[in-house]
Order: sequence, then C-alpha cells, then structure tokens
Amino acid sequence: MNQALRRLVGEAWAFRTRVEHDAAHRFTRLAAAIAGFDPHSPAIALMERAAADERRHAALCAELSAAYGEQVPEEGTFPDIVPAELSPRAGVLYEVVAACCITETESVATVTTLLAAPAEGRVREVLHEIARDEVVHGRMGWGHLAREATQTDVSFLGRWIPTMLSGTVDEGLFAQVDPELDSEELLRHGVLPHARKRSIFVATLEGVVFPGLEKFGVDPAAGRAWLAARQGAPDPSA
Amino acid sequence: MLFRKLFQVLVLGGAVVGSATGCSTRADAQTKAGPRDGGSAADAGTAGGGVKGW
Repeated sequence: MNQALRRLVGEAWAFRTRVEHDAAHRFTRLAAAIAGFDPHSPAIALMERAAADERRHAALCAELSAAYGEQVPEEGTFPDIVPAELSPRAGVLYEVVAACCITETESVATVTTLLAAPAEGRVREVLHEIARDEVVHGRMGWGHLAREATQTDVSFLGRWIPTMLSGTVDEGLFAQVDPELDSEELLRHGVLPHARKRSIFVATLEGVVFPGLEKFGVDPAAGRAWLAARQGAPDPSA
Repeated sequence: MLFRKLFQVLVLGGAVVGSATGCSTRADAQTKAGPRDGGSAADAGTAGGGVKGW
C-alpha cells in the first residue's frame, strides 16, 4: 500500500472515530429525552445500550486509525442539528430520523458491503463487531418513528428530509474525484472506493430510507428531489 | 437483494420493536409532534442539519 492510500485509510478510520463519539453522546441524550414523554418506549433502553456500543466502536476505529498512522482525534463539540421551530418532542423525532433512519441505515449498508469484500484480518474483525450493533441502532430509529406515527402526525418531517440529507454527506460525494479515491485496494482496509460509496448511498436511500419513511407517513418526495438534483436528473416532482 | 433485506430487517423489524412495550403517551396539544408555528425551513432560527456517518 502506498503512502497516499495509507493516509486515506487512516483518515477514514479517524473520521469514523469522531462519528462514533458523536453518536454515543447523541444516544445518551436522546434516551433521556424520550423517557421524558414516553417512559415505556423500548427505544430508551436501546439507545442507552447503543451509546455504550458507540463508545466501544470509537475505540475500535481509533485503534485502526492509529494502525494506519493517523492521530486519534480528540472528542470535539456536538452541534445541535434540530431546527429551532420544532417542539421538543418533534425535535427528538427529527434527530432520531436523521441519526438512525438515515445515517445508521446507510452505515449498515456500508458495513455490509465492506464485509462482502476480502479484508485484512483485524479490519474484518472490527467490521463484524460494528455491523452487528449497527443493525440494532438502525432498527431502533425506525421503531421510534413507527411508534410516534401511531400517536402523532409525523408528516411534518417530509420537508426536512433534504436538510437532513445535506448534513449527512459532503457535496463531494456526487463529484468526480481523484482516481486514488476509487482504488479497489481501499476495500481490503475497510473503506469504500468513492464511486461505490456513492452508489451504496443512493441505493440505500431509494431501496430502504425513502420507502421506510413512506411506510410511516412521511412523504419522501422532497428527499427524492434532493437526490435527483445531486445526480443531475430532472426534479421528479416537477 | 441487499436493500430488500435491509428494508425487512431495519424498517419492518423496527415497526415490531416500536410496538414491543406498553403504549406510548398520547401526544396532547402541548407535546404534539409538529412545528411550533407555520414557519418554513428557510425562516427557522436554527436551520437544521444532518448526521455524518461512515
């Protein structure tokens, strides 16, 4: 592996370390918030467990980051992603959908794809451990949305899906990139080549996230338009 | 195939999880899930965001 590729891989695992720390903090906070309005929700215990999972994942990602020569990042700040106009309960739902129904669902697809390719021994062990937990984390978010949908009007989320998606990925995901970022060798080290990452992201939205939102009463049309615009296609709602 | 399986495991599995324990507290007028006002995404004090992942 050349130095540039090694650095790419190290940076990817370092970024994941930050993502996992962020998720641990978020799930701890969300568990307490849900307990405040729905004390019998199964999401409370699941989120508390998920927070512990994410702290363990952060340690695993940091280990791999260091193994590829990247410095383990400090825990940063945790920006508020909830629009100010939402009520506290709606804000919790917004955050759960953004964090679990979109991001954790995308993570499951990513890790599953990585596991289908040959990988270095320790990388494979880490991916296996994380994959098992990420399924639970994604499912708990869909569970919270399903539960809220039986009690409240969740349709307001539809217009916010583009905002969530814009915050989930960098615009660069839909751009042409340096061939190094598309190297198939990245797979052996637990990183998706750029084009593969984009196709998995899009297919997960189309095959899982959008139909899932629709199932629970959230119109995915605005999300589909956001995706079409990034892919250079005509707006499907126009 | 992968995505159909993911839909079943995550979305349909989630629906089962969501109804697994007790009943949710019915949202009343004070806690109803929805915007506090009729504002749009554009005029929100905090614009909203998303969560970075893998």
